[in-house]
Parts: sequence; C-alpha cells; structure tokens
Amino acid sequence: MNIITGLINGMISGATPILLAALGGTFTFYAGVFNIAMEGMMLTGAFFAVLGSYYFDSWLMGIVCAIIGSLMMALIFILFAVTLKTDEFVTGIALNLFALGATTYMMRQIFNVKGAFSNPGIVPIPRIHIPLLAKIPILGNILSGQNLIIYITVLVVILSAFIIFKTRFGLRLRAAGYNAPSLDSSGVSSAKIRIWSLIICGVLCGLAGAFLSLGYVTLFSENMSAGRGWISLAAVILVNGNPWGIALISLLFGFTDGLGLLLQQYMPSQFTSMVPYVATLIALYFYSIQARKRKA
Amino acid sequence: MQRKLISGIIGILIALLIGALIMLVQGYNPIQTYAALFNFSLFGFYPLATTLRNSVPLILTGLSASVAFASGPVNLGQPGQLLIGALFATVGGLYLDLPAFLLIPVLILLSMLGGALWSGVAAMLRKWFNMDEFITTLMLNMIADFFTYWAISYPFFDRSAYSPMTPQINTNGWLPIWGEFNSNVIVMVLAFFVIYLVFNRLTAGYEWRITGHNSLFARLGGIKIDKNYVTVMLVTGALAGLAGGLVVMAGPHRFLKGLGANYAWDGVMIAVVANNGLIGTLLYGLFFSALQTGSLGMELITAVPREFIQVLQAVTVLVIVAGRGYLDILIDKTIARQKARERAT
Repeated sequence: MNIITGLINGMISGATPILLAALGGTFTFYAGVFNIAMEGMMLTGAFFAVLGSYYFDSWLMGIVCAIIGSLMMALIFILFAVTLKTDEFVTGIALNLFALGATTYMMRQIFNVKGAFSNPGIVPIPRIHIPLLAKIPILGNILSGQNLIIYITVLVVILSAFIIFKTRFGLRLRAAGYNAPSLDSSGVSSAKIRIWSLIICGVLCGLAGAFLSLGYVTLFSENMSAGRGWISLAAVILVNGNPWGIALISLLFGFTDGLGLLLQQYMPSQFTSMVPYVATLIALYFYSIQARKRKA
Repeated sequence: MQRKLISGIIGILIALLIGALIMLVQGYNPIQTYAALFNFSLFGFYPLATTLRNSVPLILTGLSASVAFASGPVNLGQPGQLLIGALFATVGGLYLDLPAFLLIPVLILLSMLGGALWSGVAAMLRKWFNMDEFITTLMLNMIADFFTYWAISYPFFDRSAYSPMTPQINTNGWLPIWGEFNSNVIVMVLAFFVIYLVFNRLTAGYEWRITGHNSLFARLGGIKIDKNYVTVMLVTGALAGLAGGLVVMAGPHRFLKGLGANYAWDGVMIAVVANNGLIGTLLYGLFFSALQTGSLGMELITAVPREFIQVLQAVTVLVIVAGRGYLDILIDKTIARQKARERAT
C-alpha cells in the first residue's frame, strides 16, 4: 500500500511543475504566440524563489520573488516579440539561453558557489495538512499533506478552463489566436491580448519554478528545470491546449517520473532518468497517429 | 550584405554597451574588463590560435543549425548529435589500431556517422509517423545526454579515474598540433567549404534553399521534399557529430562528463544571429569564440566571473535580431514614404 501511495505522491509532485508551465503555455497557445520560453521562465523563477526565500526568511517572499523574476522574462519576451516584432522562435531560444546564463552568473555573484546552492537558510514551501481529509483511510495520505503549490495548481487548472472557455477575456484570447485581424477590426487589440497571455504565462511559470526549488527540493542548481519547459510545450501541443487534457498528460509524465525512480533498483539511473523523455516521444507518436486518422 | 554588416556591428556595439552598464551597476570597471577580454582572445599569436581552436565546435554546430533552418527542418538536436558523434569517435579511437593517416579520417567519419545516426532517428520519426522534429530532437538531446553519461560510467569507464570518463584514445587518433595551432581548424575550414559549395553552388543546395523559402513552390516545381528533408537532417546531424568528434580528438582525447558543454546551444544561437547565413555563421562563431576564450583571462585579471559571457552572448543575440527586424521595418517605411511622396507630386 505504501508503495502505491508513494508512487501516486511522486506522480503528483513530478507533474506539478510541468502542469503549471503547460497551463501558462496554453494561454499563449490560444493567443497565437509561439512561446517556447517556458523553460527559461521556470528556471528564472526557481532561482528567484531561492533568492527571496533565503534573504527574507520566508517562503511567501520566495514565491513572490519567483513570480517577479519570471515576469521579468515575460516582459523581455513581450518587448522583443510583441513590441519589436522579433521572431518568436528566436526570442524564445535566446531567452532560454539568457536565463541559463543569467541564473548561473547570479548564483556565482550572489551566493559565491558553482553548480548548486543549498543552505539551511532557504525556507521551503510548507505542506498543508487538512484535518478532516487526513482521516480518510487510503486517500488521506494523498489528499492531505501535499505541498501548498499543489493545491494552488488544482485551483489554477479549474480557473484556466473557466477563463479560457467561459469568460469574455477567454473568447478574445481564442480569437487572437484564431483570427487576429478580425479581433483587431472589432476594436480589441490582439497585441494587448497577447501581452496579457504572456503575463499570465510568466506568473504560472514563476509558480512552477518556485515549486521546483522550494517544494520538489530545497536548493537551486544550474539548469535545474532540465527540459521540463520543453515537456510542458509538448503537453500543450499534444492536447491542443485544453487545460483538462494538459492536467491528464502532466499526470502521465509525473507518473513516468516516479516510475523512473522505482526502476532504479533494476537498472542504471541514467536509463531511468530517460523515462520521461521517452514517454514524451511515445505520447507524440500516438498523437500523430490520431492526427493522421482524423485527416483521413 | 551591407545592411547585414551594419546591423551586426551596431548590434554588437549596443550589446557591449549594455554589458558595460551591467558591469557598472555591479561596480566593475568595464573598460578594463573588455581590455582584458579581448587581450586574451585576439591580440597576440597564442590568444588568436586559442580563439580559432575554440571556435571549431561553435562554427560546426552553427553551420548545422544554419543549414537546417535555412532548408526547412527545425533541427534543434545539435547537442545530442554532438555527444553521439563524440562517443563514436571515442569508441573508435579506443579499439582501432591504425596508423595516424588512416585513423584520423576514420575517426572523423565515425563521428559524422554518429551524428547522422542520431539526427536520422528524428528524421525517420518524422517520415514514418509525422512526428514534429522540433520536439523529438529536443527529447533526443536529453536521451543522448543520459546515454553517453551511462556509456562513460560503465562500458567505457576508465578504471583509474575517479569521475566518469573514458581512457585516452589511441595517440594515432590525436589531431596534430603545430606550436599553438591545432589542426582541428583545418578540418573545420574544409567542412565549411564543402558545405558552402553544396549549399550555394550545387543543385542539391538550391533545392534545400528553395524548400526552406517556400516548400509549396518547391513541391510544385518537382522537388522531392521528403527525400531532401531526410538528406538535410542527415547532413546537419553529421556536421554536429563532426563537432563532437573534433572536440575529443583535439582536446582532452577522451570523453569526459560535460564534454559537450554549451557548444551546441551556442551554435544554435550563432545560426540565429547570422540569420542562417553561412558566412555570417563563420564570423559570429569567431566572435563568440573570442568572447569565451577571453573570459578566462577576464576572470583572472578582473573580478568579473566567466559566466558573465553567457549573459553577454544572449544580450548580443537579442539586440542584433531585434535590431535587424526593426532596421528592416525602418528602411521599408522610408521607402514607402518616398514612393507616397513621389505619387503625390
């Protein structure tokens, strides 16, 4: 029984950063922005989360700083891709590398370390114990005692689905991606909608980063997002941006993450670390098979 | 050409200015820092030779990305292809015993084969299952990263070493060094000429370029898009693999952890700033290499850490790319205005 709850808990915490970043990505996806900067935003968020948590002795300030840091990346993206009309793909690639360089540089400048920074002074984001739910026999260990960000993530999924499909802003968001000129001619600036979608993406990637460095583990290491931003991009593309689909896919990736840890008893850890990436390839395979069927 | 040169130089100057501002904010002396940076990378025979040597993996991966992007396929798998190429060359160098004039070409071919094999996987996934190479190559990068890490930790592990690395390859496979000049530069220049020739002068290159510009037009003109797609993927994979092979054969002569460094991603950035132009890739590759080579001296002389260069590179890319788009808009606007004025009179 413990193995199963452990596996489920591993799945949930493995899925959370991917899910948050992918939800951010889905806003830009609907707005018609080819945004591949989630990786860099997440990494910046992770760094600033540690910075804030360490200097203010508070996990709340960690989250706030993570969001600010990630928002700065989003603002650079907006400045180049929306205002100056630079190619989105190019901006995204440059921004990801900028994030990698800047976080490594700042880690060295501010904390005087190379590779990774861990310190007992970093305050992690607490786990929330819900009194009544904890008493439920099997589900108690899953429903209660999770990291705060995980509960926020559940809320974000519901909110995103609501905003995108049920509100005026959501309608405009989808219109900006579907047919920007007709949105513009109806008096709503599609550029403004894109800017808002990127800001939302920045906030959510900041949360994802904060979870990585203050929830999943309590440290910052060089390039710690390790391709999760790319996996989240794959998740968005796989389900055509539907928030519920993204939640499902992210859980699947989280499951492979936990499965990899379990398999470590039987094979070298290098192979188990490959599992999420191989799973992404397999998921893409099924997606393309389905897409072909739909076409035929 | 002139427009490119102007926007490139202006962009680099603005990026250096932004870099100077960042340094000023942190209390460093920017003039002293830049002096140290370029003293250790450009002025003198030894610094120049080192810059040239270090530019090889950057330029080769840059060429790989340039050719791929300009021909259509979004091959972002250079990091993985480089690693697999390096692994192939290393394994060849460990087990083959040939005289130098044979072993060096064999290892070079092996590294290209390795890179082409890895990009071939992505090409086949696209051809058979219509899977987007943009994401598959990225995933294959991570897989190659872990695979080579495993290979140097278990099957090809050097038992006398404390961290994951292979033993040194056969000395016949080492690229000759004359004084400070490393012959990996010669291989790179050869590869550049071949690619330049194929891309700009041969029918195959013409077809690639047309496909990259407008694939519908290319298809209607009778170009076999699918076949060209696979060829371009294999060629660009081989280029990235060659970069990896040369890193092993010129430098540590073995595969150690972190061998790929950031070469391939820097190469992608170089292709992006060069707007997929081959000569631009060569020039920006040399510039980036100068920055990276000089960064060691900069750290030695001033207190500015080496990682600052990574920031400076990304700033350069953003400024040049944004500036280019902006400059184009500016020029187009003035042309349009002129036309409007002519019509009015």
